[in-house]
Amino acid sequence: MVELIINGTQVTVETDAGKPLLWVLREDLEVLGPKYGCGIAQCGACRVLINGESAPSCVTPIGSVAGASVVTVEGLAQQGGMLSVVQQAWIDEQVPQCGFCQPGFIIATTALLEATSQPTDAEIDEAITNICRCGTYPRIRRAIHRAAAILAER
Amino acid sequence: MPRFLSRRGFLITGAALGGTALVAAVGGAGYLASVDVDGLDGHLYGERAVLNAFVVIQPDSRVIVNVPKTEMGQGIHTGLAMVVAEELDIPFDDRISVVFPTEAHPAYSTWFNLLQIRPEEASGPIVWVGRRVLGQLGFIATGASGSTMGMWHPMRVAGASARHMLLAAAAARLDVPAADLATGDGFVRHEASGQHLSYGELAREAALLQPPDHPALKPASEWRIIGRSQPRVDLPAKVRGEPVFGMDIALPDMVHAAIRHAPVFGAKVARVVNEAEVRAAPGVRDVAVIDGQKVAVVAVSWWQAEQAASLLNIAWTQTEANGVTSAEMSARLKTALGSTEPYENINEGDVEAAIAGSTSPTIDATYEVPFLTHACMEPINATVLVRDDLVAEAWVSSQSPMAIRQGVARGAGLAGIEPISVTCNVTMNGGAFGRRSDQDVVAEAAFLAARHRGRPVKLIWSREEDIARGLFRSHAAARLRAALGADGLPMAYDALVATQSITQAIASRNLPFTPGPDGDRLSVEGLDKLHYAIPNRRMRSQHVPSHMPIHFWRSNGFSFNTFFTESFIDECALAARADPLAYRRALLRANPRHLAVLNRVAELAKWGTPMAPGRGRGIAIEECYRSVVAQVVEVTVAEDGEITVDRVFCAIDAGLVINPDAVVAQMEGGISFGVTTALMSAITLDAGTVMESNFHDFPMQRIADAPAVEVAIMESDEPPCGVGEPGVVPVAAAIANAIHAATGRRIRSLPLAITETNGERRRRTVLRRIAT
Repeated sequence: MVELIINGTQVTVETDAGKPLLWVLREDLEVLGPKYGCGIAQCGACRVLINGESAPSCVTPIGSVAGASVVTVEGLAQQGGMLSVVQQAWIDEQVPQCGFCQPGFIIATTALLEATSQPTDAEIDEAITNICRCGTYPRIRRAIHRAAAILAER
Repeated sequence: MPRFLSRRGFLITGAALGGTALVAAVGGAGYLASVDVDGLDGHLYGERAVLNAFVVIQPDSRVIVNVPKTEMGQGIHTGLAMVVAEELDIPFDDRISVVFPTEAHPAYSTWFNLLQIRPEEASGPIVWVGRRVLGQLGFIATGASGSTMGMWHPMRVAGASARHMLLAAAAARLDVPAADLATGDGFVRHEASGQHLSYGELAREAALLQPPDHPALKPASEWRIIGRSQPRVDLPAKVRGEPVFGMDIALPDMVHAAIRHAPVFGAKVARVVNEAEVRAAPGVRDVAVIDGQKVAVVAVSWWQAEQAASLLNIAWTQTEANGVTSAEMSARLKTALGSTEPYENINEGDVEAAIAGSTSPTIDATYEVPFLTHACMEPINATVLVRDDLVAEAWVSSQSPMAIRQGVARGAGLAGIEPISVTCNVTMNGGAFGRRSDQDVVAEAAFLAARHRGRPVKLIWSREEDIARGLFRSHAAARLRAALGADGLPMAYDALVATQSITQAIASRNLPFTPGPDGDRLSVEGLDKLHYAIPNRRMRSQHVPSHMPIHFWRSNGFSFNTFFTESFIDECALAARADPLAYRRALLRANPRHLAVLNRVAELAKWGTPMAPGRGRGIAIEECYRSVVAQVVEVTVAEDGEITVDRVFCAIDAGLVINPDAVVAQMEGGISFGVTTALMSAITLDAGTVMESNFHDFPMQRIADAPAVEVAIMESDEPPCGVGEPGVVPVAAAIANAIHAATGRRIRSLPLAITETNGERRRRTVLRRIAT
């Protein structure tokens, strides 16, 4: 039995401590924003914030995050459903194509901007290692800079 | 109309695709005449007014647009909804929603792709019969960059027809002539009296009126939506992480399945050595051999199913392919290039005589590309429910409800069940690239669902099954020859490609009949270079079978043939000591459309301006999916061979463009796909088995590798052309040409580079060392 906080809500999960957080989210809790893409921490589609840090949930055993606060893409919008600055930048730049990988990119970007408020292109290259097969990278880069600029004005 | 395709349905499909006599098979011309191919009749469905097969209006005036095309990232739900909104005369905002209809209405048929024709230009008896038969059979699919081309006109008419019916309903209600009424913002207004009625108020009356025969279409000069970039309708849900994909389906009582396919395609399951052990694993409900060829594990969760599947010890039969390696496949292709009797696709003039008579050396080069796979970000999956009463339903991220329906029939049939109906729910696709048009995963899930009746079964392939045990772009090689005239331009062009027939491979798995391999259009597309003025031209192809399951793969034959031919044209230019741009201009002198695209991309890229040492620029152009697309690539090659694609410029004449930003996105995405392919991608074989398994050894471009992209869309008089695939097509040749410009090295096989891992995150892409 593992207790943790998912998107601000305390939950208790009865499961094998070795089950990855991704599958606990998707199967036990029906939190479906984080996606399975590779299962080996290569693609980033499963990324979530664990205590504010972006992490691949597909290789994170649930037993290792007892007591942690986990935020998925569903937890980014504010009360009332208003999109986060990063999510809104994704809309404004019309980033997604198929969209399957984008929750992971949005999470990774949220963590990046928390740590580095005005990232350079080189810092983006270093921090954002997710895979998008549709090739939305030029727009992702623009959306990250847009979100950074809006956050700087606040 | 039967919603389930019976075995007889399969046979009729075969006849339809074969183009043989059909009329008798389905009951005569009178019966065919009754098939509603336009879908313009309305009806009521609960409180909704169905104005026609494409337009549904709710009492609150919200409009639901039925788009029978799969949204797999290309933005088609937005583009076709824009067309309807334009003709319906409503603003393009969140009062419009889009659904993929579950009904297989004949008006949704993809007949135009098969008949290679635009609906607005279609006429004649073959079209008349073809669209009725294909419509009746539920031939609905998304692919071949054909959705806008095929649906924009029918959906324009549907929008205009619905608007006309709303006007007629208002005229009756207000007792005024329809000519005195105007539409706008979702209302019908009578200016003289100041009265207005919302579409929601009128829709139920309108739906029961006779649709007009030929509703007037809004002239282009009055368009306010078509041609102006609109935000995509599917993005708000996608950035919120809402469950829109097949993989996200969650149903009551659902069980989950994982699967293992044969490491060597064609091998069969001799024995599951440790079935008892796997059955005893946590959560496991079933271990099933499917069609003697694969083993599935059904469990309470997918994690448990996959864990248990990884315990499976399966004894596979030996096949002739057990010893096949990539080197042997390559040797087979090269041998085939020496074939004395290849299939002759084109033979104009006298190539051999022109080559023999030429005073300049013959340009003669051989090129090759490896097998590839699609690696859609959403791993392959399907969810199927077979109820106890044998009513079936499927939820699949699929390119084709017909493939879903046939897959369910096949899979359930393997379990001895014949469903009495199948409801096909097409979800959003997490990428497709041709992959999701096959029945494979649906049949597997349906087999399991038929064994577990009353419970939905969700089958997900692991990424490893997707990369190594799935479907592939064919391995291909070509020998190209040219003789240059006194002006340096080719007098003769001779092209021979060796590859596995793509169409035959697909048909063998998905259709009840299999055409011969010769003359396969998908294998030779991109090889003819008909847009280049060359007096003697020959194009031939040689089918080289393999044990690998070959499938559609974004741009099919163009994905290799354009690499071959546009590299070769640069080699001809070099031999003629001509600038590659000037050389192509000369070859395109009779084609103003192509020339304009070429000139536009050259201008965008500032072709001819000096570049630093180690940098180079390459160009390529192709006509594909009725579009003309040209690209200039800039690369930097370091002393040690590390290559960076810095910038890609792209110009496209895609005809009339509905949603310009979506076309730009497709070019950006196609270029990314093409750069990954050119520099990084190879599926290799050893002992008959695919060696790659996941993104660590089948690498993908990441943001650090992604070039800057600049796209220009040409003004064009053509109707809409394809954009989903053209962006991919010229990239590989343009990169190879740029590498030559930078280094003097001509690399004639893909991938051009190898990806070296350097620490956990760092990696480098380094040119392959190949004798040139």
